[in-house]
Amino acid sequence: MAKGTTIRMWRRTVFLLLALNVIGFGAIIVSLVRLQLINGEQLHTMAVENQMQNTSLNAQRGTIYDCNMKELAKSATVWKVVLEPAFITDKNRDLIANGLSQILGMDKEEIIKRSKKKTYYDELKRKVETDVKDQVLKFKNDNNIGNGIRLIEDYKRYYPYGTFAATVLGFTGSDSQGLAGVEQQYDSYLTGTPGKLVTAKNAIGTDMPFQYEQKVDAKNGDSLVLTIDEVVQHFLEENLEEGIVKNKVGERGGAIVMNVKTGAILGMAVKGDFDPNDPFTIADKTEAARINAMPQGEARTTALKAALDKQWRNKMVSDTYHPGSVFKMVTASAGLEEGVVTENSPFYCRGAVVVADKTIHCWRTYGHGAETFVEGLCNSCNPVFIEIGQRLGPERFFKYFQAFGFTQRTGIDLPGEARESASLYYNQNQLNPVELATSAFGQSFSVTPIQMITAAAAVVNGGYLVQPHVVSQIIDDSGNIVKSVDTTPKRQVISSETSKRMAAILQRNATVGTAKNGYLPGYRIGGKTGTSQKTEVKIRTGKDEYIASYCGFAPMDDPEIAMLVYYDEPHGSSYYGSAVAGPVFAKTMEEILPYLGVQRKYTDTEMKKLDVSAPNVVGKSVNDAKNTIVNSKLVAKVYGSGQTVVSQVPEPGKTIPQNGTVVLFTDTKSASNTVTVPNLVGMSLANANKAAANAGINISITGAALTGTNPVSNSQSIAAGAKVSPGTVVTVGFIEPDQVE
Amino acid sequence: MVNPKAESKRPPVRGGSGQRQEQKPENPSAVRKIRKKFRVFSARSGMDLPFLFLILVLLVIGLVMLFSASFANALYRHGSSYFFISRQAIWAVLGVVAMIAISYFDYHHLHKFAVPILLLSYAMLVLVLFTSRDINGVHRWLELGPLGQFQPSELAKFAIILIFAHLISLNFHRMDTFRYGVLPYLIILGVTAGLLILEPHVSATVILVILAGVMLFIGGVRLRWFGIAFGGAGAVVMYLVLFSKKFSYANDRLVAWLDPFSTASKEIIADTWQTRQSLYAIGSGGLLGLGLGQSRQKYLYLPEPQNDFIFAIVCEELGFIGALIIIILFAMLVWRGITISLKAKDKFGMLLGIGLVMQVGLQVVLNIAVVTNTIPNTGISLPFFSYGGTSLVILLAEMGIVLSISRTSSIEKT
Repeated sequence: MAKGTTIRMWRRTVFLLLALNVIGFGAIIVSLVRLQLINGEQLHTMAVENQMQNTSLNAQRGTIYDCNMKELAKSATVWKVVLEPAFITDKNRDLIANGLSQILGMDKEEIIKRSKKKTYYDELKRKVETDVKDQVLKFKNDNNIGNGIRLIEDYKRYYPYGTFAATVLGFTGSDSQGLAGVEQQYDSYLTGTPGKLVTAKNAIGTDMPFQYEQKVDAKNGDSLVLTIDEVVQHFLEENLEEGIVKNKVGERGGAIVMNVKTGAILGMAVKGDFDPNDPFTIADKTEAARINAMPQGEARTTALKAALDKQWRNKMVSDTYHPGSVFKMVTASAGLEEGVVTENSPFYCRGAVVVADKTIHCWRTYGHGAETFVEGLCNSCNPVFIEIGQRLGPERFFKYFQAFGFTQRTGIDLPGEARESASLYYNQNQLNPVELATSAFGQSFSVTPIQMITAAAAVVNGGYLVQPHVVSQIIDDSGNIVKSVDTTPKRQVISSETSKRMAAILQRNATVGTAKNGYLPGYRIGGKTGTSQKTEVKIRTGKDEYIASYCGFAPMDDPEIAMLVYYDEPHGSSYYGSAVAGPVFAKTMEEILPYLGVQRKYTDTEMKKLDVSAPNVVGKSVNDAKNTIVNSKLVAKVYGSGQTVVSQVPEPGKTIPQNGTVVLFTDTKSASNTVTVPNLVGMSLANANKAAANAGINISITGAALTGTNPVSNSQSIAAGAKVSPGTVVTVGFIEPDQVE
Repeated sequence: MVNPKAESKRPPVRGGSGQRQEQKPENPSAVRKIRKKFRVFSARSGMDLPFLFLILVLLVIGLVMLFSASFANALYRHGSSYFFISRQAIWAVLGVVAMIAISYFDYHHLHKFAVPILLLSYAMLVLVLFTSRDINGVHRWLELGPLGQFQPSELAKFAIILIFAHLISLNFHRMDTFRYGVLPYLIILGVTAGLLILEPHVSATVILVILAGVMLFIGGVRLRWFGIAFGGAGAVVMYLVLFSKKFSYANDRLVAWLDPFSTASKEIIADTWQTRQSLYAIGSGGLLGLGLGQSRQKYLYLPEPQNDFIFAIVCEELGFIGALIIIILFAMLVWRGITISLKAKDKFGMLLGIGLVMQVGLQVVLNIAVVTNTIPNTGISLPFFSYGGTSLVILLAEMGIVLSISRTSSIEKT
């Protein structure tokens, strides 16, 4: 027996040695061959990608300007606070979590939890304002924290005017992506291209000794110049909002102001909108309170989502409605163009017509009697338009329906324009007698408000269907024009001759017809009212709900501006377009037309009723002053016992109705006299004048008072009961209560 | 080697009764006799120079690579590039001194230490369960104050090799019986492995079981016992993997192993970070490497590049060629060590030598297999390369024992 290794031991050892060398060392060498020689390059590429720190350089989102380069939306620098858990040690974890939770208002435990992640990058909070960033920076310096907290530049969107033009502008999401309005529509232009900085970094982000750096600059987003005019938009929103409150509108309202020649939208407002700075908050306080009161759960989530969708929804582009009588201007245009009717064609309204065994009523059920075509339009008489529809026949009627753009989207550069759907209207084959008759006066089919105003623009602008748009120019970071909008009309749908005749008819309608609540002396207003029943609501709930609208233009000798005002479900004293939408149209036009440079031109009739400006008689002797005032077709009334005029009401230059009273004060004591403003609402013109005269004040009248047959006042600029100086001018608005529709 | 007479005349001893050699030196003349036969210092014949040369070459390369792999990490984490290398170099010098000293020491004296060392290893394995810092539910390290940290599993491996060599050489003729050839080893190994699993320390357990198997195999245990052992081990592993919560961490590693580039979940991405970075490093090396000191992955991408994954940095800097040379050096070391052992003058030396050399070989293979994701990620250090003072000293001391064996080995030593 050998002392040392036996044969069997030898054999077994050699076997193991071979096994270890062949299987063991063999396997690892094969692995190395595979990793280094076969997959080496691929792994190397991955390694390089891994070692290159790719820092994204944010591109600043473009600015949105109004047509006068006023900033409506802009981006400002904010900060991202990033945690670098890999560098947070147990020693400083608590300190960091404590500090950050206080500065950022976050849960300390959450920060601690996130600081234990195995990562070098964890976004703690985004869109942090600069003052908060400075606090974080100070905290870092005070506590000597090098790595562990990082601050990265970011951008945030600001809308300096809050809810102003929110529906047009839209808003952006958390990653600065456009989610509505032009922010969404032009997102690709506004976004820009993020740049990047590629450097060789070690895993903690500091430089490695191997220098490698490549920088691709961020290309800032392009800016938009809107056609929206801040001034027009301002008055439009203000008056629209006032109308919503006054008429207790249930389902929001909207309005569009458009240049009829170019299709440029000067103003577009939907009220019941939101603040784009905070789009996810329900702006409607009652609705917000209702949802807050709901228990947590699916119903609440659904309600919240519905409320948000509603406030974001651009009613003027996304919603469809029966245009009602406003559409009659299209039927009228088609009738004139085709020669089936002329201005003086005679009609007779019995209050109802029987079409294919179905009785269709006029809005005035006792009828309008004998009338010409123009009178029929001014009366908004349904039987007249039913007959014109019948004369045109389904084919020609549908031809114009199509030509005016009602079967296609307008293509406005805003997101969410209602889908083109054949279910919204009847085509020539479906236009049986009843459908044709009702379509002819604007019921039984649906259009969007933007489609309606675009067609209305074509009626008066010479017959051209234009492209509505809200962006006029896209400019890049350095101010170069990237894109300009083409304003060439799409097609001519009626002759310019017919268009001129329509303009005259519509002007007459706004002067003496049903649309006269939109009348403004000197501005040559034309217009058409519309009141349409929401038939789908009637079918669903049995309730009578209406849409009141007014579509008008100025100046009718060379139409420039169209405006459509639209209220969904007014629940005030009236639901008629003339009473609900007409005054809002008039008030807005009165404010924006001088701004837009439309000159007043008065007719002789208007001249007679024109307001004059009070002459300056301060400092003159009482007799001289009296003479001057009488020469100005005004009446003088003297207070006090002095010899010279020390002050006057109205002040020099203020407008005052003809034959109004100028009060002259001859001493300072008398100047402190006051009178009480009487109630001037709900009166005829004569009664209102009498009440004003009795009280010693002047009234200036607007609305239907100058042209109407039985105007009734419905508003006064200074509330009844207020103490004012004698002679103060109170503006009183009049409407035609019986001239409805 | 024990007295051959005693081996043949006396009844075979059981595992615990190896003390009989220690009783003998009571008699002064016997002590002298033993001293004559087993000198404390066996300097008479030289040690195996090729083996020593291979150790020193690997140690030097290992230190150079440790410095290269660790300086970035040392600078960022400890403020000095020399943090790891300076400590490791001191330990290496101590280790080499210890190795040379031990090579003069007659390894037969280790017979006496086999049982005490085994008991000591048990004691430390129990101690570590209660005293060590809990790192994610794992207890592996004993704090030794100024000496740093120490893994009792290192000692356990040596204890098993030693006690097995001791017992097998004593009971060599009865190795084919169950009572003497299998049972004692099963008990000893079972206790150690059980304690290691409690830590838990799977990689050490695996190495330990393989080493024990190697020694029993060479010691002449019947092959059918291996068949049964493989079957049993397979069943235990299956059970642990499938049902034991304690092994869920090993389970995760299996998932990470199959697809290290998986982006299925954040947990997997975090789990495979080390393996992924290792593969990036190895792949970046290509055929010729980026050059010494030129690794990118050591810049904190590869966590703790000075430890278990140091070979990835070796591959990145020295390329396939460099890595292959180092693997060949290790293979030569194993080959030479086994040759020395085979020619040892007795079975104790032969078994001890093979056990120690195989341990190095196994660690090298398993470590590189982990680094290359050939097997799932588990903590095995690379001998002579990985940072760790106590383990380097133990390793060099063990190599000293092999050198001691080589002094009486009938191998050609130049």
